[in-house]
Amino acid sequence: MIERALLFTLFLIGFYGIVGKKHIIKKIFGLNILNNAAVILFILEGSRIGTDAPIMDGQASAIVDPVPQALMLTAIVIGVCITALSLALAVHLYRVSGSFDIDTIRMRIQDEA
Amino acid sequence: MESPKAQIVERPETGGAMIILLLALIIMLAIYTLTSKDLLHGVIAMSAVSLICALLFTILQAPDVAITEAAVGAGVSTVIFVWALRHSKRRDDEGE
Amino acid sequence: MKENSKRSRYWSRFTTVIAIVAMAVVLLPIFLNDTSWPIEARDYLAHSGTEESGAINLVSAIYLGYRVFDTFGETIVLLVAVLGTMGMLSRVESLVDTSLEEEHTIGSVSGFSLTNEKRRSHALRTHLLEVVTGKIGPIVLLFGFYVMLYGHVSPGGGFQGGVIIASGIVFLALGNPQEGSSGISNPELLVRLESAAFLTLILVFFSGLLIGNGFFGNPLAHTQIPVGYIVILNAVIGMKVGTSLGFMCIAMMGGGS
Repeated sequence: MIERALLFTLFLIGFYGIVGKKHIIKKIFGLNILNNAAVILFILEGSRIGTDAPIMDGQASAIVDPVPQALMLTAIVIGVCITALSLALAVHLYRVSGSFDIDTIRMRIQDEA
Repeated sequence: MESPKAQIVERPETGGAMIILLLALIIMLAIYTLTSKDLLHGVIAMSAVSLICALLFTILQAPDVAITEAAVGAGVSTVIFVWALRHSKRRDDEGE
Repeated sequence: MKENSKRSRYWSRFTTVIAIVAMAVVLLPIFLNDTSWPIEARDYLAHSGTEESGAINLVSAIYLGYRVFDTFGETIVLLVAVLGTMGMLSRVESLVDTSLEEEHTIGSVSGFSLTNEKRRSHALRTHLLEVVTGKIGPIVLLFGFYVMLYGHVSPGGGFQGGVIIASGIVFLALGNPQEGSSGISNPELLVRLESAAFLTLILVFFSGLLIGNGFFGNPLAHTQIPVGYIVILNAVIGMKVGTSLGFMCIAMMGGGS
């Protein structure tokens, strides 16, 4: 129960990073933290029903649920793909407008247009 | 169903306190990441969050996810962040 | 003017608080949920996962056997992300020369610095990095191959081994500063390996059609080693992920075309 409350806090910290911060790199930090929180939630819930890792070296063992682990592998790799692409976009925006602050970028792009 | 149903087994208590401690550490590092003025410190804190996540996954009996998180978070993701900071010549945050 | 900016700052903080409260209200039912996690999937896999696919590592059996569609989609997402990042990279590089002031460079600059970067001349710092990473590089590459090929017996597999191979390639590229493109860190060699690995992946997926098992089916299902399919898939996915991420990291460090 306490673990779920801590994960809820981590979700909200990641969400605050995306919405509340004005620096683009900090928004990308928030996206990464949100991704991590979602992955921890699934692995935590899946591990409640067993005690062993899902490697069948014996015959009778109470293993942990292996399905969320397989799904979270995909989720982690897609998270790093999103981070790479968004950082490339952020660096391109910096090159075009000279700043990382989103208000400054919006003003400079509106002045150019 | 012929096969016997496995029971729901509870996790031992020593694992529980460790999980709460590691989650609290992750939260403190995440708050430091978002509020640090120097972005390079924030990137290193993100790498530390990935490392503690990998440790957490090992305790939760998920070794494949732990290897992936350690290799991806502390390897490729940190390289990409450092590249982004380097090509923009900004090390300090200004305000919020 | 001061009134306006102060009011807009209060307004932005107010909307941030409203957004966080709304997100908390949406997420609360997930975290207050009381139903127990279903155990039918775990029971079925614990009893017949090993016989059906031949792998001892059940997670490998799932993402290369039961849910191989997800793995295919993930490979395509990785390909698109690396292509997009490389496209952005070339445009960023083309904007570097026109927007920087003139700064003189230090004489002994390693191959991975920007063209106009000013660097303090600490010779010891450069040599330590090159010597250590150049020596550790082959060991990390060997470890990556081991993790990739033993994915069906111990924790590991295609993606894990691939990312470790990418780290090994980055180490080797950091290790020799003068020629950043020698040996396996040659960007053209990496691009060709990546294309060959993706083509091999599609061909392996098609080979299930020859037996009559369907598109993602196991072509070795009725021979003596049905687990060979998982080993081949692990190897091909590992090569693809490793070379594409390694190429992206080397290009980011400045040594690619």
